[in-house]
Amino acid sequence: MSKRVAIVGTGQTFHKSHRPDVNGQEIINEAVMRALEDADLKIKEIDAIVIGNMDHFEGINYVDCWSVDGSGGMMKPIIKLTTGGTTGCTVAIGGYHLVGSGMFDRVMIIGWEKNSESDTTGAITTAFDPVWDRLVFAGAISGLAAEAQAYMARYGATDRDGARVSVRDRKHATHNPHAHLRKEVSLEDVLASPMLADPIHLLDVCPRSDGACAVIMASEDVAEKICPKPDWIWATATRHSYSYLGDADYGRLTSMREGSQELWKKTGIKEPRKELDVIELYQPYSFGGLIWIEDMGIVGPGEAPQYIWDGNTDMGGELPINPSGGVIATNPIGATGLIRCAEAAMQVMGKAEGRQVPDVNFAFSSGFGGCWWTDMILHGRKKPE
Amino acid sequence: MTKIQMNGYEDSYVIEGKMALPYTYFAGRVGSKFITTIRDQKKIMGVKCPACNMVYLPPRQVCDKDFTDIRDKWVEVSNTGTVVNFTVVRYDDKHLPRKAPFVLALIKLDGADTPFMHILEECTIENVKIGMNVEAVFAKETTNTILDIDHFKPAAERLSVHEINAARKQWVPADEPDTQEKRRGGRPDMSKPVIITAALTGAATMRNQNPSVPYKPEEFAEEAYKCWKAGAAMVHAHAREDGGMTTHDHGRIKATFDAIKDRCPDLIVNLSSAVGMGVTPEQRISQIVAIKPDMASLNTNTMNFGIVERKTGKIFIDYVFENTFTMLQDFGKAMEENGVKPEIECYDIGGLDNTLLIGKQGIFSDPMNFNFVWGVAGGQAFRSEAFIAMMNALPAKANFTTCGVGTDQYPCIMQSCILGGHMRVGLEDNTRMPNGALAKGSYEQVEVAVSIANALGRPVATTAEARLIMGLRKR
Repeated sequence: MSKRVAIVGTGQTFHKSHRPDVNGQEIINEAVMRALEDADLKIKEIDAIVIGNMDHFEGINYVDCWSVDGSGGMMKPIIKLTTGGTTGCTVAIGGYHLVGSGMFDRVMIIGWEKNSESDTTGAITTAFDPVWDRLVFAGAISGLAAEAQAYMARYGATDRDGARVSVRDRKHATHNPHAHLRKEVSLEDVLASPMLADPIHLLDVCPRSDGACAVIMASEDVAEKICPKPDWIWATATRHSYSYLGDADYGRLTSMREGSQELWKKTGIKEPRKELDVIELYQPYSFGGLIWIEDMGIVGPGEAPQYIWDGNTDMGGELPINPSGGVIATNPIGATGLIRCAEAAMQVMGKAEGRQVPDVNFAFSSGFGGCWWTDMILHGRKKPE
Repeated sequence: MTKIQMNGYEDSYVIEGKMALPYTYFAGRVGSKFITTIRDQKKIMGVKCPACNMVYLPPRQVCDKDFTDIRDKWVEVSNTGTVVNFTVVRYDDKHLPRKAPFVLALIKLDGADTPFMHILEECTIENVKIGMNVEAVFAKETTNTILDIDHFKPAAERLSVHEINAARKQWVPADEPDTQEKRRGGRPDMSKPVIITAALTGAATMRNQNPSVPYKPEEFAEEAYKCWKAGAAMVHAHAREDGGMTTHDHGRIKATFDAIKDRCPDLIVNLSSAVGMGVTPEQRISQIVAIKPDMASLNTNTMNFGIVERKTGKIFIDYVFENTFTMLQDFGKAMEENGVKPEIECYDIGGLDNTLLIGKQGIFSDPMNFNFVWGVAGGQAFRSEAFIAMMNALPAKANFTTCGVGTDQYPCIMQSCILGGHMRVGLEDNTRMPNGALAKGSYEQVEVAVSIANALGRPVATTAEARLIMGLRKR
């Protein structure tokens, strides 16, 4: 990158299962106005816009076109990026590329979804090959269940281990006024909730939410003028690993392993467990919170359950994960990855209020998509060298 | 379209609509062939990457690993396979392929390396487990999609070599009448177990010929384990350096030997007393004396041992493999004194005669174990009559096995099995399968040897039986 890039402002809507009070333009506008307010910028100071959501999740496509009233994109360069579940993280990485290239100084990045208006499984099904996969595809939950099942078979983990992750995230969510589900749940609640696909219970998985998120990125030439303590982007990584449903190594997230290794290599991080201060993981179901932190190299294969039971990833622990409550508490899909990025940025900037982790030097945020692809961002307090 | 008013939002309106978009979708050239093969022949075909040996199902145009063009590298895979992973879907949604509850499984068909997702039916959900065998149930009417396989159902249990062996009476030496006379007539006792050996590497087969050739100790251990699982009672190994060069380093050979023994404690390990070119007789035998494997190769004559292009006769490597009478005598004595049973390598009938001549000193304990080697450039090519002549020249209690280089491999082991002898396969001798495709590992050739034994009704020897037959020391 020819320019270093920082996040100088973030904005989120309030997330609910249904926001009947706003349409697409209006919910986008809510997030954009909050981000502008946070950065103390006017829309005319924004040079370009990156926006994204899920294909077919609303009654209208081509958000880049019709949303200009809400996004403030009138007569500005706009690019839409849509990569499924990873969309929110991908728009952030796209914004980072635009600013880092030196072509734009201030870029508004937007992810949004009115999930309540979608036939979610019907829409997701369109992402799968009509000959090979679509006809036997049984929704996003079943694929995740297969991953959890494989992990349990390989390492002897149990559904209690998964439930412990849900309990953590739902507890964390009580400190986040933007979270959709803000009621604590107990281990017993999770295990007694209906079984959706073995071994996943209803309370192991994310809800569907309406919401939007906006993040403003600025180049090193202007970032510190806008925000005295911005969140510097240290590196990003993206990995895709999918041709057909059966190709993945179920029980291991190869894309996370390869991507995070690239991230550690680019930034000189040797021991992510010690050097990271907080993680905002795109974790749409509880078992992902076990499997994927092993693939990140936080702990070794099969070691996550003990690490989590010991409280290391709770607030106040060695490495808090999802202080926001994560995806299990809030999931407007096209915004979900960008909320991870925004929450990580707020942690670095010291703006996370009731969910602030003290003295954050490095924060990690990620995106995850349907068939085992992953993208990720390393955020830092110091300006990268 | 309708307009709905919502409680609490009396002045807000929601439009209800439905998108139904007709589309067409070409299954692709690769996909079309897969579908027509199921439709017309009830055969499931995958594609195999010649560079990395992966067999892909669904088939595709390029290898995911190395981008090799594999669109016309078709191989047939089995209609049966294994559940590698599954979930029970317990919620209903109009887009799901079945009503809940149903089993969604990742199924790896026998012969394929990638599993694919499908529905498992005709089973009790509680009994579904990872590793269970299943078979495809084809649809009555074609839909030109993956649903030409309507679903999978549990398969009749197939027994592994080990399960079959556990169920039969174990062979003991008392079971053997004096077979020498019968053998001479070519009518051996087919109830005698056949010992399958896998020669994992040799000194010359490299990864560029077959990527499954092991170099590192842990790779040897894994290959050996797969061969054992497939039915081999013995492996023959030449240790390699990480980069693939042969080595006479005691430490490396010991590490390779130990890795195999750690992974498969039962397996008989046969090391080589020929550890590459340009080594001294002392280097060749000292490692055997130091490690004391169950068995070791003992070479019987000085001979050309080169690499010559078969079609043109052009010489690539001209090398004299030195095995003097003194070496035959000294190596033989050293092995016998150290409890290492020699595998006597005969590249022609002269080598056999050399052994009988030097053996008059009383060096070799009974039973002697001979290996007839075919197809080395410098030794004899495989001929049925030559095989029978060698067999008839053996001492009374001797055993024989055989191995052949390249295309000699399968004919020679088949003849040996028919005549009451044993079989050696492996990437040292041949990198390919009978159909010419690269073998995925020595274990795939072991599977061929097992099928030959099955076809002839000979039991496959367990490691314990192999020790008894060949007179090896106990574990």
